[in-house]
Amino acid sequence: MTLFLIVTLNGLTLAALYFLAASGFSLIFGLMRTVNMAHGALLMLGGYVGYSIVDATGSWGLGVVGGGLAAALAGAIVQAGVLGWMQGDELRQTLASIAISIIMADLMLWHWGGLTYQVELPEALAGGQRLPVLGVGYANIRLALMAFALATGLALWFLIQRTRFGAVIRAGVDDQDMLRALGYPINRIFVLVFALGGMLAGMAGVVAASALSIAPGTDLQFLLSSLVVVIVGGMGSIGGAALGALLVGLAEQYGLAYAPTYGVVFTFAIMVLVLAVRPQGLLGKAEL
Amino acid sequence: MATDLLEIRGLDLRYGSSHVLHGVGLNVSDRPLGILGRNGMGKTSLCNAIMGLHPHSAGEIRFDGIDMTGLPPEKRAQMGIGYVPQGRRVFRSLTVEEHLRIVERKGGAWSMDRVYETFPRLKERRRNLGDRLSGGEQQMLAIGRALLLNPRLMVLDEPTEGLAPAIVSDVIDLIELIAGEGIAVLLVEQNMHAALAAVQDVAIMVGGEVVERMTAQALESDPAMQKRHLGLEPGQSG
Amino acid sequence: MRPALILIPLLALPLVLNDFWLTQVATRSLILGIMALSLSFLATYLGVVSFAQATMAGIAGYTIAYFGPNSVGIGVQLPFWISIPLALMLAVVSGGLIGLIARRSRGIYAIMITLAIGVAFFYFTRQNYTLFNGWTGFSGVRAPEIGGLSLRDPLALYLLSLGTAVLALALVSGFVRSPLGLTIQAVRDAPGRVLALGISVTTPIVAAFAFSGLLAGAGGILNVWYQERISSFSVGLGPIIDILIVAVIGGLRHPAGAFVGAVVFVLLDTFAVDLIDRERFNTLIGVVLLLIVIVAPGGLQQLASDWVARLRRPEVKEKSTV
Repeated sequence: MTLFLIVTLNGLTLAALYFLAASGFSLIFGLMRTVNMAHGALLMLGGYVGYSIVDATGSWGLGVVGGGLAAALAGAIVQAGVLGWMQGDELRQTLASIAISIIMADLMLWHWGGLTYQVELPEALAGGQRLPVLGVGYANIRLALMAFALATGLALWFLIQRTRFGAVIRAGVDDQDMLRALGYPINRIFVLVFALGGMLAGMAGVVAASALSIAPGTDLQFLLSSLVVVIVGGMGSIGGAALGALLVGLAEQYGLAYAPTYGVVFTFAIMVLVLAVRPQGLLGKAEL
Repeated sequence: MATDLLEIRGLDLRYGSSHVLHGVGLNVSDRPLGILGRNGMGKTSLCNAIMGLHPHSAGEIRFDGIDMTGLPPEKRAQMGIGYVPQGRRVFRSLTVEEHLRIVERKGGAWSMDRVYETFPRLKERRRNLGDRLSGGEQQMLAIGRALLLNPRLMVLDEPTEGLAPAIVSDVIDLIELIAGEGIAVLLVEQNMHAALAAVQDVAIMVGGEVVERMTAQALESDPAMQKRHLGLEPGQSG
Repeated sequence: MRPALILIPLLALPLVLNDFWLTQVATRSLILGIMALSLSFLATYLGVVSFAQATMAGIAGYTIAYFGPNSVGIGVQLPFWISIPLALMLAVVSGGLIGLIARRSRGIYAIMITLAIGVAFFYFTRQNYTLFNGWTGFSGVRAPEIGGLSLRDPLALYLLSLGTAVLALALVSGFVRSPLGLTIQAVRDAPGRVLALGISVTTPIVAAFAFSGLLAGAGGILNVWYQERISSFSVGLGPIIDILIVAVIGGLRHPAGAFVGAVVFVLLDTFAVDLIDRERFNTLIGVVLLLIVIVAPGGLQQLASDWVARLRRPEVKEKSTV
């Protein structure tokens, strides 16, 4: 029973991370139809920068913000400098973002080396505590991570559903040309949304580097999870990202605990099942 | 000679290998202009070219004396062209109020309140999403949001398409109201009678060219012309 | 006439190349080209860019390793005349299954799904020890001796790779003219119309993927003999991207371009050491890919034919003013 609870909590932790990573990926895809293959690299950049900032200043909060901002800036540069010029040609954008992710990963390997880093935790988040009712001990940082993902999800929902900027993004998802004909410079909005997606990825990177660790390959791990999460949950839907992250995170941890050498198969089976039943994803809108 | 607000000269437009507009020339001043023509004669392509939604391959479009070639749609909207597209194209995931809120600018002649005054129906439905509105309501919304740009020219592409006769007459009144505000009007229509009721001048497009330009009255009293270019039998309503 | 013009020099190549060039450049390019051909076949005729070709190739390679001589003591030894057809068959089946999973997806959706499949397979090989021996995989995989001729010999492997490449190209050009091949292209051009004719689009899509699995599998078998080992790294993101880059360099819409792309890639890989730090090869290849995507999205083949066309018709000028 304790094992089951711990595994469930681990699954939720992973789901929280996957949601943080996938929400930016999904947001960008929803508005621009861009499959940003450099999303994992942006996440890893945030993680590394966050690590370096925490290492230098000792402030975890500063690290999260700094990592987020670094990835936001990198995302904005990627969109404004390369992908924006190929808007509408999705295959070209995909290939270009792959090239960018290869270059970014290699340059990060150059600068930070092949070591595995873990961001040092502030005192409040270090250690763990016995959870009431459930009666199991669990690490503070992992609990904080779940709270962080929840808060981010709510903030994102508020931003998109309740603010003017969010209304502009939704209008852009519905009909880009019409939004332009109403005086909105769509390219600038694209850059902003790319920065926002990068910000989410970068903060996820720092949090991932705190709760788990970060090393070359982290980018691929989170790119895969983001892909599967949005395929399962539905492309371009934040709620879908949350649901997909929950399913994938839990499946992965149960798989690891109960069938160690076939863990990935669970994730994969969920994806195939969803594709067979609902090709647009659980909460995705059907489109042609 | 004073320049007209919108001047189009020798406009060519292609979609891939098909040549859609051939040397179109048009002027729009403060007298509302209707563009008539059957389906597929290039009317919507003309609107796309004016808004910059599709690049033209030759010729020029001047707005207030400025050549707009190469300017993106958002620039043209900011310069003062309000666009009411064919099919209305309201945003399906925005409420009525959000439609107006994202376009409203402080200090202009048109505000959200004034749009609600003009279209009380929109106020009643302000919490409804775009795709939950009737065709007439969507048309009001499409016109209302374009007015919030405080345009100097309104380009309306088939605003009466698919509307009930009573609503069509509302739209005609509305176009007169817009013109009365001193906003130039370019009205693209297939419904000749609606257009003739709303505008003073008409141009007829056939096969991507402007073939006739005359007053609305002159066309109204020339059934042969109507039949030749618009395919209308005398007395048939369009 | 034209094939002979290309084929004769290629047959004579071993006479002028030393073992290093023959093995490290010529043979490697051919093998990589065959794997990339499986991708550009799908991209050209089905209009789908698949990231799962390394997976299909890997399944064939793993089959050869598992059922052949290896130095890790896993698997069952079978004679090559069973293990080779078995490997090809499994690659075809895996291709068909991947096609079945991705059948309703086009464009970027197909990319995402095939990439997810490819990366999931990579993680699966790392986790699983009973079939794939985890991340260490198989080593000491030796190419068989057929009729007294060892395929480990550089010349023999080169000629076999060349023969396979020629056969693969011939198969592609025959397949795309067959009724099934024509249906596949009809699905690419207008899936709705094919459905309206009462023909299922599933069959042609699955068939196209299965056929690409055959090509990828052939490349995968040659590759495992060439490398003499296979591991999770052979099916990871590295090879997935390499195959993609080769196909993109050659031009995604030009099947034969895969071999041009392979030669360019292998030359870059082999001689990058002289240009830049060996460690930064990924940055170099990333920049090359980015440049190709920006400057010549049709690939080198397209670039070359545009050039030829421009040289032939210098009077044609760009007309568009916008």
